[in-house]
Amino acid sequence: MIERYSLQPNNFNPDTPKEFVLLSIIAQSFFQPFSLEDNILVILTALTAGSGIGFNRAMFFLKDGMRLKATTWLGPRSPEEAEAIWTMLSSPGIGYAEIVAYNRDLVTRMVKDVQPKLKHFVYDLEGQSLPLPALAALNKEIILVNEARNEPAVDPDFMNFIQVDSFLCLPLVAQDEVLGEIVVDKGITHAPIDLNDIELARLCALLAGNYIYTTNLYKKVVEMEKMAALGEMAAFVSHQLRNPIVAIGGFTQQMLASPCQPDRCRRNLNIIQEQVKHLEDIIYKLSHFLKITIRELQPVDIRPVLLNLVERPDIKLKAAKKTISLKLAPDLPLIQCDPVYFEEAVVNLLDNALDFTPEGGKVYLRARPYNNKYVLIIIKDSGPGLDEKSRDKIFTPFYTTKENGTGLGLLFVKRIVDTCDGKLEVQSQPGRGTMFKLYFKVRERGQS
Amino acid sequence: MKKILLIEDDLALSLLYEEELKNAGYMIVVTHDADSALELVQKEEFDLIITDIRMPGKDGIELIANVMGLRKDTPIIINTAYQSYKDDFMTWAADAYVIKSSSLDELKAKIKELIGS
Repeated sequence: MIERYSLQPNNFNPDTPKEFVLLSIIAQSFFQPFSLEDNILVILTALTAGSGIGFNRAMFFLKDGMRLKATTWLGPRSPEEAEAIWTMLSSPGIGYAEIVAYNRDLVTRMVKDVQPKLKHFVYDLEGQSLPLPALAALNKEIILVNEARNEPAVDPDFMNFIQVDSFLCLPLVAQDEVLGEIVVDKGITHAPIDLNDIELARLCALLAGNYIYTTNLYKKVVEMEKMAALGEMAAFVSHQLRNPIVAIGGFTQQMLASPCQPDRCRRNLNIIQEQVKHLEDIIYKLSHFLKITIRELQPVDIRPVLLNLVERPDIKLKAAKKTISLKLAPDLPLIQCDPVYFEEAVVNLLDNALDFTPEGGKVYLRARPYNNKYVLIIIKDSGPGLDEKSRDKIFTPFYTTKENGTGLGLLFVKRIVDTCDGKLEVQSQPGRGTMFKLYFKVRERGQS
Repeated sequence: MKKILLIEDDLALSLLYEEELKNAGYMIVVTHDADSALELVQKEEFDLIITDIRMPGKDGIELIANVMGLRKDTPIIINTAYQSYKDDFMTWAADAYVIKSSSLDELKAKIKELIGS
């Protein structure tokens, strides 16, 4: 007999301690895409959800260079508001997503009142005689402040803002580096902060520190990948531009070096013109390729797009003496992509397929639902096919087997499919043609 | 007359090199991909081989390795737009590494240095 449990539960046994429920919800954020803001908000919620760990309000500081800056403040403004939040958070079925949605809403509502005030709380960690709360970050220790009004180490402006007697400062540290700080208090219940509170808060602070660390690391990796791709791109581009440039330079020199015979001269000028055209083509495709920015995926009805596409004059011209066999399933759902880029992707593949299909041959274009989640689009040629080695290379920038190809088309297609969160497969064998399969996600109902 | 095998996939460039090197007094055999280059090397004797590094069919470096296996003492010039391969130790096997330029002077000088005119 087996029993199954969800990795990310949102219904807990009613006897489960509240602290445990909230920590489980925090842990769910590990499954979420990297959003530091949301993850921190969930931690702040766990800390301040009264009936949970027991604090009421939290202020979040992030280290920026050598300065500690207040960026978020979360907390009810009155006991009534607190009551409403606690009721919401203790209702069954509340999970990470609900908390994030609720918090975003709350933070947006508070932004107007609080954000201008938060700006004042910037502490220079290298400055002299750092006051509380920043002192905790500097010393990398948790500091509990009681009778705050009589404590000279507390920044008076900060005191003025939080207006409580007791607060707890939690430095956020990872790999021995200070990354931020959280300050929590019980400004609504005015209950004392006890050891139990501090232990749970410490755990939350460790998690928060780790989030910031991971997010920073992630940003660095993305940046490095970008730089590496750019370097690779630059090498390829310079190679690609150099060939035509060498040809142009070489044939020009030929004409200048000796008295030019009219035939030879004309031929050289023709070559030069061709090479310039090729350069233009590379630059056009490159700028086009680099420009792909799909800000928001939209629902796309692919049927009219595909029907239109085979009627395009450029496609019709290429398809002369060849056949395009188009079959679309009757029940094609909407996909999520961008109509213009979707068309560009399919045109690129269709164009290729027509180039490789000999006269009298057939190109197949198919679209049908796949697996309820995807729409599958198939483009197949009757060309010579690819051996394993070439198949591995077709997405390499500037790899081409066409005489005047730029080697950017398929890369462009892949980039579009990736951006639309789809999948791309290639099947090919020498002598059997090449088949591209594009899987685009079906637009789910209710998505706007 | 010295005989040179030129492996260059770009058609305009191979025409340019062919004409220029003929003018300089060499006999030139041109081929556009690595596989037919290998065939030629097996059948004929060459005094020099000039090859690019990236081309359809086979990697230029792989080609050099194959050619060296067949014709150990034929000098090889890598003529390419890629600066970055210059440090690849496989290219040390070549006798010269010339970066493509609109002036063919450097290439011609290297050829002269390796096989005379």
